Amino acid sequence: MDIRLAGVTKVFEPDIVALEDIYLSIDKGEFVYLVGTTGSGKTTLLRLISREYLPTRGQITVGDVNLRKIGRGRLPFYRRDVGVVFQDYKLLPNLTVFENVAFVLEAMGIPPRVVQNRANEVIDQVGLWRRRFLKPPQLSGGEQQRVAIARAMANSPSIFLADEPTGNLDLRTSEEIMRLLLSINAAGTTVLVATHDQYLVDAYRQRLVELHNGRLKRDERRGRYFIDGEL
Amino acid sequence: MASFKYALRDTFRLICRHWGLSILTLITAASVLYILGFTALFALNVRHMVSQIEGGLVVQVYMKKGEKPDDVYGKVKTNPTVTSIRAISPEEALDRLRAKLGNQARAVTLMGENPLPWSLEIQVQRAEHITPLVRDLVVFPSVEEVIYSGKLVERLSTISRASAGVSATILVLAVIISALVIFNTIRIAIYSRKEEIEVMLLIGATKTYISLPFVFQGMFLGAGGALLAVAGLWATYASAVNAVRSTLAFLDIIVNQQILLQFFLLLFATGATMGWMCSWLAVSRFTSRALRPR
Repeated sequence: MDIRLAGVTKVFEPDIVALEDIYLSIDKGEFVYLVGTTGSGKTTLLRLISREYLPTRGQITVGDVNLRKIGRGRLPFYRRDVGVVFQDYKLLPNLTVFENVAFVLEAMGIPPRVVQNRANEVIDQVGLWRRRFLKPPQLSGGEQQRVAIARAMANSPSIFLADEPTGNLDLRTSEEIMRLLLSINAAGTTVLVATHDQYLVDAYRQRLVELHNGRLKRDERRGRYFIDGEL
Repeated sequence: MASFKYALRDTFRLICRHWGLSILTLITAASVLYILGFTALFALNVRHMVSQIEGGLVVQVYMKKGEKPDDVYGKVKTNPTVTSIRAISPEEALDRLRAKLGNQARAVTLMGENPLPWSLEIQVQRAEHITPLVRDLVVFPSVEEVIYSGKLVERLSTISRASAGVSATILVLAVIISALVIFNTIRIAIYSRKEEIEVMLLIGATKTYISLPFVFQGMFLGAGGALLAVAGLWATYASAVNAVRSTLAFLDIIVNQQILLQFFLLLFATGATMGWMCSWLAVSRFTSRALRPR
């Protein structure tokens, strides 16, 4: 699904402008890095697309759905098509890896046998097969991140949003995560990754959108993290 | 179907995870519903006894000498509160008197001509209908005297009204208390799964899917409490019936199995419905707030 933002502004109470007048168009199947300093509006942009937030002004259209007009009844069905990897993972600590992935599918009313097959399949894809019966506190940061990715991809969403998916991870684990995201994109899923990771952005060059103080600063097809000469 | 199975599984997980709280809620719901049932049974029995006495209350209307009761009879017959009316001729009244006197019946002949007037025996649905009826009767010029158990009627009406009032108050209080207990238990269960629910909403679970385990939990606790209350009431009532029969046999209490079964079924349904409504309210408030975009 393609994503269109037209004149999007988000102001938080009392008067904090998180995003201002953003025009952005992302086509189906694109891989986009969202970069920018802390507080530049990356997370806000992702949350607007997952419809956790509503824009103060402007329109966001995903596929043929206008997110401002989507009703409460249809919202769950929209969200099923948007896989989200949260900055803090949001894994449930009292459930195993398998249960964390499976409960997304169960929430959609999928029969138990199908849930089991699909959950095992994605857990295997992210390389956690041998750890599927462990609980999140028993896993490393990178493994927890991979569980979050497995959960987000379990229902094969059309859009995949990842907020700092390699934050606090070592280089090797970050590269593994990155390859995972690229493989998801290769299957035709639109992927948006908010990141600070200069190395990965430059090593796996894709479309780059830079935000600065809530404004769109740069939008390049195969951009580098820093503009030449900038540090 | 799969969603229903997941909801049932999650319901039992919820009950087991907070087993202490669940047992406490069950006991509280059972106690409150027991009080509710006990009060209602007491009120039903008072009402039953009052209506038995009321059914036996007779208003006797004596006509003036030589007057026939036709006009009074016609008027009383149209009164919807009257259940039966019977005209007693002077001859019948004399026969009754003779029967009552027994061995002294021959004394009646000393009276010479039959001195007894025409009279009417009237029965009404409820004690409180008697006073207005009497007021209507005394205005007839052909009526000599109206006899009824005035004091008894008034007392019965007062007892009946008071027992209904007390029962209604206890009933309302009991319903509010059990509703609050169940509502708060479900709220605690919701807050213990707050994180989980928020993630579920973000990944596209519907409100119904999220609500079902909590609604089932509330229903199970309400129905379970009601079941315990019914068992307790059954035992208490059975021993009360035995005690009344052996010591106060003249008291006419309800022993009809069908009425009691209907009553207990109603109490069970009340518990389950209350549990369902309270939990639905608690979870609905939470999910609506969580779904509201910021």
